[in-house]
Amino acid sequence: MRPLTLRRLLWTCGSLVALLLVIIVVALKLGAVPVSVTDLVMSLGRVAIGRSDQLPAEYRLIVFDIRLPRILLGVMVGAALSVAGAGFQALLRNPLADPYVLGVSSGSALGAIIAINVAPQFALATPLGAFLGAVATITCVYFLGLREGNLDSTTLLLAGIICASFLSAIIMFLMTTLSSRDQRGMAFWLMGDLSTPQTSDVRWLFLVGLVVAIGAIYTTAADLNLLLTGEREAAHLGVEVTRVKLVVYVAASLLTALAVSASGAIGYVGLLIPHAMRFLFGSDYRLLIPASALGGAIAIVAADALARTVVAPTELPVGAVTAIAGAPIFIYLLRRRMR
Amino acid sequence: MSASDTRSALASRDAAAPAAELPRLSVEQASYAYAHQRRSAPMFTLSATSFQARQREVVAILGPNASGKSTLLQIISGALKPLSGRVLLDGVEIRSLGTRTRAQRIAFVEQQSQLVFPATVGEYVLQGRHAYGRALHLATEEDIVLGMNALAQVGAEHLADRRMDQLSGGEKQRVILARALAQQPLLLLLDEPTLHLDIGAQVDLLERLRRLSEENRQTVIVVTHELGLAAEFADQVVLLHSGKCLRVGTAAEVYQRELLEQVFSASLDVETGPAGRPRVSLRSRSDGAGPRTT
Amino acid sequence: MLIGAEGMNRNRRRGGTLTLRSAAAALVLLAAGATFAYPLRASSESRHIPARLVVTDEFGRTIQVPQPVLRMVSLAPSMTETIFALGAGDRLVGDTDACDYPPAAKTTAKVGSVEAPSIETIIALQPDLVLATQLNRQETVAALDRLGVPVYVADPHTVQDVIESTARLANLIGAGDSGQALVENLRGRLDALQRQLSGVPPRRVLFVVWTEPLISIGRHTFITDALAWADAQSVVQTDKDWPQVSLEEMVRLQPAYLVFAGSHGEAGAPSLADLQSRPGWRDLEAVRAGRVVVVSDALARPCPRLLDAIEELARDLHAEVYPENPR
Repeated sequence: MRPLTLRRLLWTCGSLVALLLVIIVVALKLGAVPVSVTDLVMSLGRVAIGRSDQLPAEYRLIVFDIRLPRILLGVMVGAALSVAGAGFQALLRNPLADPYVLGVSSGSALGAIIAINVAPQFALATPLGAFLGAVATITCVYFLGLREGNLDSTTLLLAGIICASFLSAIIMFLMTTLSSRDQRGMAFWLMGDLSTPQTSDVRWLFLVGLVVAIGAIYTTAADLNLLLTGEREAAHLGVEVTRVKLVVYVAASLLTALAVSASGAIGYVGLLIPHAMRFLFGSDYRLLIPASALGGAIAIVAADALARTVVAPTELPVGAVTAIAGAPIFIYLLRRRMR
Repeated sequence: MSASDTRSALASRDAAAPAAELPRLSVEQASYAYAHQRRSAPMFTLSATSFQARQREVVAILGPNASGKSTLLQIISGALKPLSGRVLLDGVEIRSLGTRTRAQRIAFVEQQSQLVFPATVGEYVLQGRHAYGRALHLATEEDIVLGMNALAQVGAEHLADRRMDQLSGGEKQRVILARALAQQPLLLLLDEPTLHLDIGAQVDLLERLRRLSEENRQTVIVVTHELGLAAEFADQVVLLHSGKCLRVGTAAEVYQRELLEQVFSASLDVETGPAGRPRVSLRSRSDGAGPRTT
Repeated sequence: MLIGAEGMNRNRRRGGTLTLRSAAAALVLLAAGATFAYPLRASSESRHIPARLVVTDEFGRTIQVPQPVLRMVSLAPSMTETIFALGAGDRLVGDTDACDYPPAAKTTAKVGSVEAPSIETIIALQPDLVLATQLNRQETVAALDRLGVPVYVADPHTVQDVIESTARLANLIGAGDSGQALVENLRGRLDALQRQLSGVPPRRVLFVVWTEPLISIGRHTFITDALAWADAQSVVQTDKDWPQVSLEEMVRLQPAYLVFAGSHGEAGAPSLADLQSRPGWRDLEAVRAGRVVVVSDALARPCPRLLDAIEELARDLHAEVYPENPR
């Protein structure tokens, strides 16, 4: 019997953090404009000791004002989507659940489209509209998913799917009837794109939301292991099922809302990273949640680096890369399950 | 020494000792009803039922389908709030206990258990220790020892590192039982545990439950519709029919031919076997005298 | 029956995990702090340029353009063409993959596609000014804005707008003289067209942007205005800029001519024989009679070459006015 120990938890997370830092450095190096690794490491050093003004101007602009914020955004979005996916997979007791299965991405998209058409010059229109759209969807789906006053997994799933289709239909309608002037950006957003610039405040807000939501889900990690064996079983073992389901629902939905508001609906990451982490480290949610967060961050940063370099200088939306890489991985996982 | 000899020896020993202890479990007039739709007349799934059980006792809640057995068990476990009446465990009303405390005192083995993601047997059994942990509920040394003990008690220590989806049906059920034992409960509840087992495995399980109740001083309550098993292994039988409790007592007291025939809608013969336990057999419908020989 | 508690001295290791824990926490906090602290401290610094011209672009944005403008990046084909037409092509240091006219534009350093140019490539070219149109995404313009690069967005809706836009751009980049000459030439040609076509009844046309699905133009686009200068009127009159229209409706309206912008063989401009064999299309009078006009793709670009295309279209549609150029 080899149960999870704190030591194993910390070692695994530590290794993943180390891997993430390496990937970040590589991603900082890659891009349409070549940057040498030694220059990069020395610059990072200078920044760390506070001598950032000694860097050459375009270098600073490109690496630190363009690439680094984008990479940091990728880290947060990857972490948010993966933890949300893992959370929904436990809440709905369904391995095919991903962060968008409950309609959050469709609601966000609708909010974004409405915001763009109502206030096109306002820079924060898209993320704010997307976030509000997501919150509205989360609330509606919650009330539709109640059964005798409790969140029921099957009802919730059905409610989410129905909302998603309905909202998608409205989006289709709006996109064909509204002026196409602002629609070009939507195509990228729908695919999932990290190139939208964020102000520093927005990034801090995102980080705070991320930490709070992941923290909240993590407090239920042990409960989720039990919940996966059945709701009644979990209740008999001492889990406060109603409270746990509510916390996971709100936190995972919030994570999805944050990610989608910042970068559109990047696909496959929320679905596949939890499965990949289970494959590597087992299904214990106390390890799975931090592993998924870190694994998701690594995946998105890597995918975005590819998106920026594969047809340089044109930049692909990162969602295109995750879809192309994700589909074969998904098929592989399906086949393993069937055996 | 055969199983039945041991039992009769123990029974006579208990009968000799003074029964000074408070009943471990006391079910007092518990009933339950629910309405399909609001404003329609409620349907009583269980009418006021009472019985008591002691430590080291095996109780069988017996009845055909839809007789309210599972409802009664859910009420005893504290998962359902009874419409009227109450359930006391060592004198304390179980509904007043928190979820955590309740999990430390009562263990419930459900009919079916599906696992969405594979876990190892060890991880699964350690889930039984959840109610004793804090924060991340990481397994302590004590938890591991108790988990291994629980596996040993069901004869499954060798399975500790296997994955749950690699086990046979019987092995899986033993592991599920081990998880319940890991909770170190006072009360062990099982809902139709013999449903998918063949007769050998059924006897195996019930003998094990008998042994466990003795060793761990637990009260074991088993919901079943198997007349033969209940007669053989239960110290007390609670007979339910269509939500009503018809009789509570020892097997010998409860197994009256007319009563059983009415409840189970079958032609039955009841005889008394060795050690005073009743034996039930089918009587064929065509002729009124004795079982048909083929 | 109870298994003895063996290996209890694993407790000793507990102390070790505590230091491990604190070390890991410290590392993570340090890394997070460093990466987050940086962007807050480093603001996008303005370059120290002596002179700056404050200008309002056609989207209503106020920008500060350093003078003189020595390095320019264009994010739209029409802008590239306009710059070359103003004789400032030598100062263009970067353009998009779609910029293909004049031929010199193809050899200019590329910054990516119109929708998704590489911001860092643009920055690396150190432009004094970036030129964009409404073809570019708002996110691209916003990103460049945030990094302190002035972006001038042009948004012409009519042919006159195109000419004025050219004049404004010329003043902005210090090509005032060539700009004035160009603008006079363009205005002169417009006047000539107006004179030649006065009194001639307008032709009803269907301008085809895309065949499958059939997409035409709305009345607020500059293409509609361009058609008007060639004395042609689009049969499609909607407010949406690129409406998808039904073929049956076109058969009902029976435009006199079909107009394509782009040479034969490219996407959107099928050959006449091809059209005559397609169901639905062959029900159009214009197709049956061979009244399909293909003009240069400049008709779809709001730049000086638009005038060439308008004149070409005028000759094709009104053969009686221009007898010396039979088609």
